[in-house]
Amino acid sequence: MKRMMPWSCGGLALAGLAVLAAMPAEAAGKKVCYAFQDLSTGFWGAGHAAIVDTLKKNGVEVVELNGGKDANRQLEQVKDCIAQGADGIILTADDGDSETMLVALAQEADVPIATFNRPPSDLSKGIIVVADNESVARQAVEAMIVQAEAKFKKTGKKLHPLILVGDLADPNAVKRREGFMNALKSHADLFETPVEINTKWNSQVALAGLEAAVTADPNIDFIFTSSDFLFPTIQGVLEPRGKWKKSGDDNHVILGGLDGDDGACKLIREGYVDSTGVQDVYLEAKLALDSIQDAIAKGEARPNGVKLDPGFALSQANYAEKGPTTWGCMVLDAKK
Amino acid sequence: MGGDSRSPAHERLFEAAAIARDSRGSIVNFFRRILLSEYFILYLTIFYFLSMAAIFPDLATPRNISNQLSNVWPLLAVATGQTLVIIILGIDLSQGAIMGFASVAGGFVMATAADPNLLGGSPLWGTVLTEGGGWLAGRSGSVLIGVGLMLVVGGLVGLINGYFIARFRMPAFMVTLVSLMLFSSAGIWLTQSQNIVNLPPEFTQLGSGDLVSFYFGEKVEATIKRRDILSFLTYPMVIALALAVAVEIMLRFSVLGRYIYAIGMNAKTAAISGVPVRRVIMVVFVLSGLCAAVASILYSARLGGGRPTIGAGAALLDIIGATVIGGTSLSGGRGKIVWTLIGVVFFVLLGNTLNYMGLSAFYIDVVKGGIILAAAALDVARNQLLAGQAA
Amino acid sequence: MSGPAILTLAAIAKAFAGIHAVRDVSLAVGRGRILGLVGENGAGKSTLMNIIGGVVRPDGGTMLLDGAPYAPASPGEASRAGIAFIHQELNLFSNLTIAENIFLNDFPQRRFGPFSLIDRAAVARQARALLSEVSLDLPPETPLDRLSPGERQLVEVARALRLDARIIIFDEPTTSLTARETERLFALVARLREAGKSVIYISHILTDVAALADDIAVLRDGALIEAGAKAQFPIARMITLMVGRPIDQLYPPRKSAPQAAVLLEAISLGATGIIRDVSFALHRGEVLGIFGLMGAGRTELARILFGLDSHETGEIRVEGRRLPARSARASIRSGIAFITENRREEGLLMNGTVAENIALAALPRLAITPAELIEQGRIRSAAGALAEALNIKTASLDAPAKSLSGGNQQKVVLAKWLLCRPSVFIMDEPTRGIDVGAKYEIYSIIDRLAGAGGGVLFISSELEELLAVCDRILVMSRGEIVGEFARAGFDRGRVLAAAFREAAA
Repeated sequence: MKRMMPWSCGGLALAGLAVLAAMPAEAAGKKVCYAFQDLSTGFWGAGHAAIVDTLKKNGVEVVELNGGKDANRQLEQVKDCIAQGADGIILTADDGDSETMLVALAQEADVPIATFNRPPSDLSKGIIVVADNESVARQAVEAMIVQAEAKFKKTGKKLHPLILVGDLADPNAVKRREGFMNALKSHADLFETPVEINTKWNSQVALAGLEAAVTADPNIDFIFTSSDFLFPTIQGVLEPRGKWKKSGDDNHVILGGLDGDDGACKLIREGYVDSTGVQDVYLEAKLALDSIQDAIAKGEARPNGVKLDPGFALSQANYAEKGPTTWGCMVLDAKK
Repeated sequence: MGGDSRSPAHERLFEAAAIARDSRGSIVNFFRRILLSEYFILYLTIFYFLSMAAIFPDLATPRNISNQLSNVWPLLAVATGQTLVIIILGIDLSQGAIMGFASVAGGFVMATAADPNLLGGSPLWGTVLTEGGGWLAGRSGSVLIGVGLMLVVGGLVGLINGYFIARFRMPAFMVTLVSLMLFSSAGIWLTQSQNIVNLPPEFTQLGSGDLVSFYFGEKVEATIKRRDILSFLTYPMVIALALAVAVEIMLRFSVLGRYIYAIGMNAKTAAISGVPVRRVIMVVFVLSGLCAAVASILYSARLGGGRPTIGAGAALLDIIGATVIGGTSLSGGRGKIVWTLIGVVFFVLLGNTLNYMGLSAFYIDVVKGGIILAAAALDVARNQLLAGQAA
Repeated sequence: MSGPAILTLAAIAKAFAGIHAVRDVSLAVGRGRILGLVGENGAGKSTLMNIIGGVVRPDGGTMLLDGAPYAPASPGEASRAGIAFIHQELNLFSNLTIAENIFLNDFPQRRFGPFSLIDRAAVARQARALLSEVSLDLPPETPLDRLSPGERQLVEVARALRLDARIIIFDEPTTSLTARETERLFALVARLREAGKSVIYISHILTDVAALADDIAVLRDGALIEAGAKAQFPIARMITLMVGRPIDQLYPPRKSAPQAAVLLEAISLGATGIIRDVSFALHRGEVLGIFGLMGAGRTELARILFGLDSHETGEIRVEGRRLPARSARASIRSGIAFITENRREEGLLMNGTVAENIALAALPRLAITPAELIEQGRIRSAAGALAEALNIKTASLDAPAKSLSGGNQQKVVLAKWLLCRPSVFIMDEPTRGIDVGAKYEIYSIIDRLAGAGGGVLFISSELEELLAVCDRILVMSRGEIVGEFARAGFDRGRVLAAAFREAAA
C-alpha cells in the first residue's frame, strides 16, 4: 500500500492538472514585462521608475523581472514572460549579445520587444531605444576642452588626459570611448596620449586602476568617466592628493562624465565637475513605452527600428539653460 | 525472510515508527507518516503546485509547464553528479566553476567569429582564437570535438578533485573550494571576462531544439504561431534524462553503485571488506565533473555563448538544494537520482512561483536558502528517528 | 531478603511496534543487596532497566520505590528519585575534567547578589571525597580523556554517589575493563552494598554474576523465568534458564583436528613500536588462539597480517606464497578474511540491509568490471542460504543491520566473509558483547570452519573461551610473542603468567 502512495498521488496531480488546463484563460488587461539587470546606478533607478510608473498610469499590468546579473536567470525570466502571455517586453540585458539573443527569442514568439538604453549587437531586430552615445560623449568632452584650451594658454603645457572606459561588451561603453577619442583627435595638439582604464562598470576595478594611474603620473589633469556613477570613486582618489578642487583653482582637474544623474548635477553646480553628457532617461523611457504600446495596439508582432536619443552636454557654462531639463537635476531638486 | 521481501529497509522502519506513534492521535500520525516517507518531496511538490496554481492559475497552463520543464533539464544533469558525491559523504563545490570553465573551452573550439575589441586581450588570442573564430571554426565536426572537449575538461577537473581527496585524505569541502576558485578564475582570465559568442547553430540547438512538440487549439491559420507550439521532447530533455537514467541504473544495479553506497554508509567497513575506496572516490568526482560539463553544454547552448560566468553565484544553491531536498542524505549512504529529479522539479517550481510573486532576486535566494535549511533539518530529524527506533 | 524490598515491580509490560519487549515482569530488588540480572540479548533486560531509569514508560504494571508509587516521566526524575544508571556506553564528556563531569548538572555555587559563580573550592573538596569513596586516586582536575575506560566508569559511580543514589544499575560494566580494573569494580560494588545501597548488576559474564550477586533473576523473551537467592542458580542452571534448552557446557566439543599443511605463516614480522620479531604458523584445520592483555599488540598484528597496515621487516606467506601487494583487496583475493573487533564501526554497514552486508566483500567476484550489473537474484539466494546456515535471526534480508542483536550482527559479518570462500580467518574478539547462546553458535561455526579445512586465528581477551576452543594458544605481550601452549599443556595460571610477564629483553 505504501508503495502505491506516490503513484496514486501522481495520478491525482495529473488529473488536477488536466482540469486546470481545461479552464478558460481569463480575459486580462495588457501585460508588459520589464526585464532588467539590477538597478545599481541612479540612471537605471530613474529609468526603472519612469517606465514602471508610466505603464501603471496607463492601466497596463507591469511584471518587473530583476535578472540579478545572471544571464541564465534573465533568460528564464523572459521565457516565463512569453509563456505567460505577455503582450510586450521592455528589456535591458547585461551585454549586446545577450540582448540580441533575447530579442530573437521574443520575436520568434511574436511578442513585440523594445530594448531600453543598451542596444543589442544586431541593430536590425527589435525596437532599439538608445542614446547617441558617441555624440553625447563628444559633446561632453568638447565642453571640457574649452577649459583645457584656457589652461593650455596659461601654462603652455600639454594636458594629461585619462578616460575611465566602461565594460567593452556594452556597446554604449564602446561608443562613449569613441566619442572621447574623436573629440581629443580634433584638438590633438593640446593633449598627451590618453590613459585608458577599463573599469568593466565596476567601481572597485575603477578605483584600483585610477589609483595606479594617478600614482604613475601625478600630472593627470583631464579625466573623463564613461558613467557619472564613478564620480565618488574619482573624488576618493583625487581628494587625498589635494587635487579635488573647484574650477578656477590651480589644482583643479578638468572632469567630465556621462549620464546626467543627480550626483553629477550637484558636482557641476558646486564647480568640481566641468561637464556631463546627458542621456535623457525620461525621453528614452517614453520612446520605449510609446513604441511598445503602439505595437500592441496595432497588433505588430515584430516591430523593428532604432529610436535615437540625441542627448546633450550639461556644463558649468550652460547650467542655467540646460539644468532644468536634465533629469538628474530634476531628481536632485525633488529631493530637497 | 518475510513476505514483502522487496520493500526497502527504511520504509519498514518508517512504518514501524508510524505505528509506534499510533497512540498520539491520527491526524498527527498522518502528518508524521507523510513527513517520514521516502517520497515526501513528491507529496510536497504536488501539494505546493496545486495550492500555488489556485492562486496563480497561469501556473498550470500547459505552456507554463512546458516552459518550466525546459529549466529542469540542465539543473537535473548537474545535480545528478552532486547526488553521487553527497552519497559518498562528500560535496562538490566546484561544479559551478566547471560549468563556466567548460563553457569557455567549448567556445574556444567552436566559435565561428570573434570580436578583437572584446576578446583581443585574451591570452589565447592569435593562437587559438582569431577574428575568424575558434580553433575549429567552421569546420565540420567542430561541434563534436567542442562538446567532447567540454566533457574532457569536466572529467579532468573531477579527476584532480578526486585525486587530492582520495590520495591525500583532504576534506572534499576544501579541495573543491580550491578548484572552484582556481577554475572560475581561469575561465575569466582566458576570456578576460568576455563571452565567446557566435557559436554554430548545430550546437545551440542542443540547448532548446525540439524533437516532438504539441499544439493545442484549432487549426484556423495557415501557419501556427511559434509561441503556441509547446515543446515536449527536446534535446536537453533527452540528454539530461539519458544521463540521469544511466546513473540511476549504475547506482542500483552495478557493483560500482554498491561500492558508492557502502562507502557513504561506512568507509572503514568498506575498505576492510575489500572495496577499492580510493578508486571509487576518484570515479565519483570524475562523474560529478562530467555531469557538470553536460549541464554546461546545455546552458551554453541555450545562452548562445561560451560564458565564464555560467554556474557562478547562486547556482550551487540550486544544485545542492535540489539534491538535499530530494531526500539524498547529507550523512551519506542514502540517495537516488529519481529523488533528485523530484527535488529539481520542486526547486524550479519554487523559483517560478517566486518570480510570479515579483520578489527581487535577493529575496528569492533567501527563500531558497531557507528551504535548503529546512530540508537539512528534516534529514537530521529522519536520521534521529531511525536511530531511536532501532533495537 | 532482609527487610522490605527497596524497589518492587509488579506486572510491568512494554511493547514496541507490536513486539513485546517486556511482559508481566514482577521483581523485587532487596534493600542493600546486589541483584544479578541475566538473560540473552533481546530478553528484555535493557528495556526493563530503561523503564526503571525513566527512559521509557511502561504500557502496564506499577512500580514501588521504598513503598511509594514510582513512575518516572524522564531520566531526570529517576535520577532525582535516587536511581543511578551506569550504561555500557558511559555518559561522560571526554573534553571536560573529572570534577566537571561529576557536577555537570549541578555545580555548587556561591551567590553574589543576582550573580552566582561556581564555588571551585567546594567542587574540588567534594570531588576528592567522592573519588576516594570509589578508590580513584586522581586529581579532580584531570581531563577525562586521559582516563582509561575503567577509570571513567569509576567517575560515573562517583557521580551516582553524589546524586545520593539508592539503587545503582550497572549494565555490562566489565566489557572494556582490564582484569585489575574489574577487581577494583567488584570491590567497589561490595562496598556500595556495605553502605546500604542496592545494586542491579547486568552482565553476560556469568562467572562474575555468580561471584558478585546476592540474588539472581533470569529473563527470557521478555518474561521473568525465575528469581531467587544465588544458591539456587549454579551457572549451568542459569544458562539453561536463559536459553530455554539444556546446554551443559558453554562450549561445543571440538570435532576436528589440525593437519600438517601450513596455511598462513608469519616470519619475523616487525614494525617499530608496534610488533617485534613475530613468527608463527597457522595450520590447516587449526584454531590458533592469541591471548594477551590490552595493548599487547594483537589487533595491530591482525591488521598487519591482513594488509591494512604495513610492516618493516619479515614476511607473510599464504599457502607458501608470499603475499603480493599490501592491501585488503589483495588479502581477500589470497583467501584471508578479517573479522574485526569492532563490528559496528568496521565490520558492518549499520544502515545497510542484511543482504547488502553479506554481499559486500564478494562483490568483485560477482562481476568482472565494476560497471557490470549485479545479478540481484544470485546475491539474494546466496545471502539467504548463508543466513540459514548460520541461523541468523532477522525480520527479513532487507532489515537494516542495526536492528539485529549483537550475536546476529556478528553472524552477518561471518556470512559476509564466508561468501568469499577464504581459507584463513583472522577473528579479533569475535564474541565480544554477545550473549551465551550466540557465543555457543559462533564456537560451533569456528569448529566447522576448521573442520572444513580452513585455519582460524582466534584473538581474544577471554582466556576461558580460548582454553576451550583452541588447539594452540600464543601469548603476546608488548608486541612480541612470549609464550606458546599446545592443547595438552593448557594451564590457566601459566598462560596468565606469560601474559603479565614482561617480554625478554
